[in-house]
Amino acid sequence: MKRRTALLMAGTIMATWPMLGRPGRAQDSQIDWASELGKHDGATLRILMIQDPWVSGFEQLNPIFERLTGAKVTIDAFSYDQTHEKEVLEGTSQSSQYDIIVLDSPWVGEFWSGEFVEDLKPYIEKTKPEVIAWDDFVPAFQTVAEWEDTIVGVPFGAYFMMMHYRKDLFEKAGLQPPKTIDDYKAAAKHFTGNPDFPGMYGTALNNARGSAIGQSFFEWIYNFGGKPFANTVPGNEDPYGDMTPQFDKPEAKQVFEFFKEMLQYQPPGAESIDWEQRAATFTTGKTAMITAWSVRTPGFYDPSQSQIADKVGTSVFPHVEGTDGVPPLGGWVMGINAHSGQKDLAWDYIKWFTSKEVHKQFVLLGGPPSRISAIEDPEIRAKMPWVETIAETQKHVYAECRPRIPESFEIIDTVGLQFSRALQNQVTVDEALAELQTSIADLMVKGGYTVQQ
Amino acid sequence: MVSRTTKLLFIGPGVAYLAIIGLFPFFYSLYLSTTSLNLTRPRRSQFVGIDNYVQLVTDPLFQKAILNTAILAVGSIALEIVIGFLIAKIFYEIAHLRTVNWLRTLFILPMMVTPVITGLMFTYILNPTLGVANVLLRMVGLPESGWFGSVDVALLSVIMVNVWQWTPFLMLIMLAGLMSVPRELYEASALDGAHWYQQSWHIELPALRDVLLVGAIIRLIDNLRFFDVVYIATRGGPGDATEVISMFAYRQSFQFFNMGYGSAAAVLILFITLFVTTLAMRYLRRVENG
Repeated sequence: MKRRTALLMAGTIMATWPMLGRPGRAQDSQIDWASELGKHDGATLRILMIQDPWVSGFEQLNPIFERLTGAKVTIDAFSYDQTHEKEVLEGTSQSSQYDIIVLDSPWVGEFWSGEFVEDLKPYIEKTKPEVIAWDDFVPAFQTVAEWEDTIVGVPFGAYFMMMHYRKDLFEKAGLQPPKTIDDYKAAAKHFTGNPDFPGMYGTALNNARGSAIGQSFFEWIYNFGGKPFANTVPGNEDPYGDMTPQFDKPEAKQVFEFFKEMLQYQPPGAESIDWEQRAATFTTGKTAMITAWSVRTPGFYDPSQSQIADKVGTSVFPHVEGTDGVPPLGGWVMGINAHSGQKDLAWDYIKWFTSKEVHKQFVLLGGPPSRISAIEDPEIRAKMPWVETIAETQKHVYAECRPRIPESFEIIDTVGLQFSRALQNQVTVDEALAELQTSIADLMVKGGYTVQQ
Repeated sequence: MVSRTTKLLFIGPGVAYLAIIGLFPFFYSLYLSTTSLNLTRPRRSQFVGIDNYVQLVTDPLFQKAILNTAILAVGSIALEIVIGFLIAKIFYEIAHLRTVNWLRTLFILPMMVTPVITGLMFTYILNPTLGVANVLLRMVGLPESGWFGSVDVALLSVIMVNVWQWTPFLMLIMLAGLMSVPRELYEASALDGAHWYQQSWHIELPALRDVLLVGAIIRLIDNLRFFDVVYIATRGGPGDATEVISMFAYRQSFQFFNMGYGSAAAVLILFITLFVTTLAMRYLRRVENG
């Protein structure tokens, strides 16, 4: 970490220390943490999570919790796939090594049906409402944390997919940030191979095989006016009641063809671009715009991580004209390991870390805003201009944009394989979609879901 | 005369070790392969008999994985033998130089790099946008490549990385073989007017045949369980261009947690490996017996 960033973080914590729970100074905080949290001297709380940019935020804040409770907090963080693998294996082996499990939204159903995590409803019910402030979480993200009348985790890391663009280039070109998919295509074409913008490419998409392109399908399908399954549409009370795949519909074909068409506006080797590389093309000044999860946005604005830090603008995810856009929603919730021997300590940590006031400090340290109070906070808005786009985006998101059923990981990977094959012309778009319609339907039937033949 | 009990006491620990480390996992995998067990839905597990195997042999992705593994193994071993022989020959010719030990050590360094690090290293080097490989191609006026990202060259790129890492192994084996060729044979053939390539073909290659076969069998087994570089660099993609059998089994078992189907794949891979290596060993034995 750069020295300046470290000093800034340390300064922020020092400045907010009294508010976060210095014992005996309850008047500085709305919550008297000294009485709210138990004493856990000598205990060690272990958290398993993904190695995302906000891990340092945890590490900056944890000493405060340690001071309040006497417990030591340790974090083990892994890459996306490894996190999933390790968490499932911990759960199936009924291991008590970790007390808190941080899980991605599509894993919620899988972790509940595997009996890896506790139902947090009873914990929330016995906690003061002002501590948990459940209604303050982004509404769709409240739904993400719930499964079959239970609460599987408490939200803390909501991700919103947004458009990130180069303000300087768009201004020079006389273009507005793209609102529709046609605008997006036109802007990408304008910046690619244009002598006025030498060496510049229009955009970069997540094209790499596996979760990268598999998730992309679910991010774009709603914004083409389609849906992945019969019932998974905003407003449907029973999203998994009919799991007939919709890969045979025109919108699915439009998504596939859109990705193929956009290849010409991306840097060489775009077929293997994933989240990291997509962000790298933008921060190194090679692309004029990309869509990316809001968790990466602070990095785009940080001069120590980005060569275009003072030139970045954000806007809402594009969609086809005449439809309601559904910007992708993702992100992380904190659950308690069902086999932990320190569930009270784990809950103390979760309610403290996700409380309004600690969450605000987490956001100021680069964490993703997940509460309405944080999104509307004037201090956060002043320091983080992109939060205005999050405020607009969160009104249109849909909790089920990626399925949250136990089969989710396999569905996304299977879509990712066929999507990648079509993108690489190993098969035609029609062949890939036909294969998906059959294989995903088979998977759903095997899982016991309703599928219309 | 050693008593039966003493014999059992000596053999017992070895047998117990083998049973725990080798036999139990094998029979447990065999059992799992006849179920529909998924670790995240353990209560829905059922006995399915040979269904997993039937599904597996008709699964187009598994078939592609077998084809890719075969191409990877044959391509890599062939290139490693050719390049390894040429380099062994160079080292043989410069054996009198003082720096030869340093050069040899430098040359075998790739073999000592962990395959995961090799995968990461080449992910950066071959990155189409930011990697140094395309910069070099541009500098010499050659067209850039998509490397791991292009369906046409992804498997070739994986083979190239594999060859870079393991050529030193076959080179060392062949160098040792060359060292054992009697000098008189070279001298006699030189008197008869043989050129270097004729010496290589008629003297060195026949002398290297046995060691080369052993080396090739070891490399064949390595290639049948080739995983790390693909896992790090391509995940089997783009499309299914670099899907190999170990990646297929890993994905089923540890990403989808389909332990039944994944175990069936693992058992089938084991039998394929056994079959191929048995054939190779038989051939080796036949060669040894003339």
